[in-house]
Amino acid sequence: MTGFVQTLVNGLLLGGVYALAASGLTLVFGVMNVINVAHGAMLILAAYLTYTIWSHTGIDPILSILITTPIMFGFGWLLYRVAIRRLAGTAASMSVLLTFAIALMIEGSLGLVYQGTFKSVTPSYFDTSMQVGPIYVTTARLYACATALVIIVCLFLVLTKTWVGRAIRASAQNPQVARLVGIDVKAVAAFAFALGVATTGAGGSLISVLYPFLPASHYQWISRLLGVIVLGGMGSLPGAVIGALAIGVGETMTTAYISPSWQTAVPYVVIFVVLLVRPQGILGRRTRQDIVTA
Amino acid sequence: MSMLRGVNALRRINALRAGRLAYVGALILATAWLIVFPLYSHNIYWQGILFFSFLLAVMASGWNIISGWAGYISLGQSAFMGLGAYTTALLTLHLHRTPWLFVPVGGVLAAAVAALLGVVIMRTRGHSFVIITIAFLLILQLLALNLRGFTGGSTGLTMPITTFPRDWQYAPFYYVMLGLLLLAIAMSWAIRRTKFGTGLIAIREDEDKAGGVGINAPVYKVLAFAASAVLIGVAGGVYAYFITFVDYRGMFSIQYAVLIVLAALLGGRGTIMGPVLGAFAVQILQDQANQHFGSSQANIVVYGAVMAGVVLFLPRGLVPSVAEWARTYVARREEGLSGAIDLRPSAVPAVRDSEPGPVLLEVKGLTKTFGGLRAVDDLSFSVREGTITGLIGPNGSGKTTAFNLIDGMMRNEGGEVWLAGEQVDRLPPWSRAHAGLGRTFQITRLFREMTVLENVVAPLRDFRWRQLFADAVAGHEAERAEELLEFVGMRRFRDAQAAALSYGQQKLVELAQVLMLDPKVILLDEPAGGINPTLIERLVEKIRELNAMGKTFLIVEHNMPLVADLCDPVIVLARGTRIAEGTPAEIQRDPLVLDAYLGEGWAVEEAVGA
Repeated sequence: MTGFVQTLVNGLLLGGVYALAASGLTLVFGVMNVINVAHGAMLILAAYLTYTIWSHTGIDPILSILITTPIMFGFGWLLYRVAIRRLAGTAASMSVLLTFAIALMIEGSLGLVYQGTFKSVTPSYFDTSMQVGPIYVTTARLYACATALVIIVCLFLVLTKTWVGRAIRASAQNPQVARLVGIDVKAVAAFAFALGVATTGAGGSLISVLYPFLPASHYQWISRLLGVIVLGGMGSLPGAVIGALAIGVGETMTTAYISPSWQTAVPYVVIFVVLLVRPQGILGRRTRQDIVTA
Repeated sequence: MSMLRGVNALRRINALRAGRLAYVGALILATAWLIVFPLYSHNIYWQGILFFSFLLAVMASGWNIISGWAGYISLGQSAFMGLGAYTTALLTLHLHRTPWLFVPVGGVLAAAVAALLGVVIMRTRGHSFVIITIAFLLILQLLALNLRGFTGGSTGLTMPITTFPRDWQYAPFYYVMLGLLLLAIAMSWAIRRTKFGTGLIAIREDEDKAGGVGINAPVYKVLAFAASAVLIGVAGGVYAYFITFVDYRGMFSIQYAVLIVLAALLGGRGTIMGPVLGAFAVQILQDQANQHFGSSQANIVVYGAVMAGVVLFLPRGLVPSVAEWARTYVARREEGLSGAIDLRPSAVPAVRDSEPGPVLLEVKGLTKTFGGLRAVDDLSFSVREGTITGLIGPNGSGKTTAFNLIDGMMRNEGGEVWLAGEQVDRLPPWSRAHAGLGRTFQITRLFREMTVLENVVAPLRDFRWRQLFADAVAGHEAERAEELLEFVGMRRFRDAQAAALSYGQQKLVELAQVLMLDPKVILLDEPAGGINPTLIERLVEKIRELNAMGKTFLIVEHNMPLVADLCDPVIVLARGTRIAEGTPAEIQRDPLVLDAYLGEGWAVEEAVGA
């Protein structure tokens, strides 16, 4: 029983970090109807940034979120200005192909700079753990999960309580009308995309402590995060949190009770099952598709 | 003037024909050169590059079937290469025979897996399909890694060494792969010119509409997925034998998944030769990148940059862009297409059958809700054979939703739809089209990338397996399509692209398209909306003629004089249900109707008064 609870707690802690990592992906999809296939590559990019900062200055990787987040925000904004905005009005497939291309460029560039070997960030607490009753909690996971949850709550408050958040949601639901009520839809889209990418700054910093990574790791991350948002309902932030916790627990349970080598299969299986049984996910809505917004 | 136009048109056709001839000639010469190349040159380096070009071209051609024509983007197409490779390797190792025997088995298995996966996932669309294809490739990679006893795990499987003489160099592999490539091109060509091919393009352009004109999209998509996998599977087996080593990363290869997409995108997806030429370009690019940068990481950056460049600046790819350029270059020397419409009075007298026939279409207690909103609420009405029945009501009263429920674009939550004595509300849209239901849209939905004629021949009156392999535009059907275009006065635009037509012209073509189904009942959603009075007149005339020939109509329309003139009876909807029915005169006097319109803020005198 203790073993089970231990596994559950580990899974939930990981899930919290996955939720942060997936939040930007689901936000960008919700606002722009674009699956940013480069989201995983951006996470890995942020992880390398964290690695560089930590190895050169010794700044704590979790603290370096304060540096990586603005950098990734700027990166996202630039990317939107240079490439993503040109997608307006083209088929959905083009956005997939473009972000796939961006992922490749990030992967290749990281490989050129850092070589293709595993890196990890190892602050003093990365291999310590605390005991709570019969349960052991890895310090790094606890810090990472707590940080992730704080950031997600902030993100949620920005989206629901602020003017800019309402503007983002309005633009997502009906760009034409949003424009009519005075929202600069293009500026809002740029901000939303940049915000989505900014979450990879924080997400990447946290991941760098929890997992070793190499440039090609982004495939595994994008699959995992797609599993998260497909399960939670694409475009829904609370859905992403639920999906992330479920996949985190699914992975630790698989590792504990089946085999570590099948752990990576969890998101794939989730993707297949959810898309077949309930394509809109747990919190996704089925919307009317018949209304032409010409 | 008209003679000059004739001469110009002829010159243009000749120029285009000469261009096409040169293109085909160049392709034949290139093929001939590829066939003799290993005979006179023993440059093993170039044999290798060409072999890999063929391999990539076979795969890009396959990808093009599901992703270029049907429009379902696969980012995991190399999964089928891996399936073919592992199949060939395992059979060779267990049965101790030459791998050539098992290469076709790999193709069959790849196609079978693709079909099975297709059946399972074809409910998903757009983004979901893309996600599944990535997941599918990675899950196969994981299986190949983890099922150690079967696949050799991370060490992989080693194939037997080739037995043919050394001085043949790569020739056997070279010729087999070249043969596969020619087969792939032939297959693409065959698919493109059949009903199957145009059906796939219709699905890409507008899948719902394709269903509405009788195209059984799931069968088409599953077949397209299998067809896209089969030669990739065979090629995978040959590739495995060539490099004598099969491992999970090299075979279920992410890099190949990327290269396939890049090749097809660069060359031009949705064309026959685009993906092939793109593959040669990508293979040579890869070789150059290897020589200049010498690192796989730099190659990945180059692939990404080229792919992003193509998506942003050359989204249609090289072959279609060059073809487009050639066409506009030639067309510039000729006057533009005339937009005038032939307005000769029609020969068929507009006589109206005064006796309405038996009930043809019946709707009983139909219900549909969106969230909390009851868009259609216990709606019942019937349409008698031979009538032109009008369906009117204030905005938001549920007219278009009723249409969507009748033709199957949406599923009803309650109630029934009967067509000619058959209950159709559980049938998919294409079966309803086969049963005799035709429908046009409020905002026209032609297949924009197809020509007018292709649009009109696209509808299918039934589903037969043989039909898939019939020529797309040929014989009796093509004749009938031309007659219908003549009937609506659009024949001279038969070769124009649908997207180039004016809105009113599109409405006429859409009518011809629906008539191709030879429907018993034709549903018209705001036929007069947004088009000029001359065209409205023409449309009314055509509806009368068709009605005189025995076609039954159900028309949603806001133009009240037109409804009063054309329709009898008229059914009035409000808040999703029927509130009145009768002749136009009766409707205009009905207090309930006045109330419904006034309640919605309508000026009844202007609208109904006429």
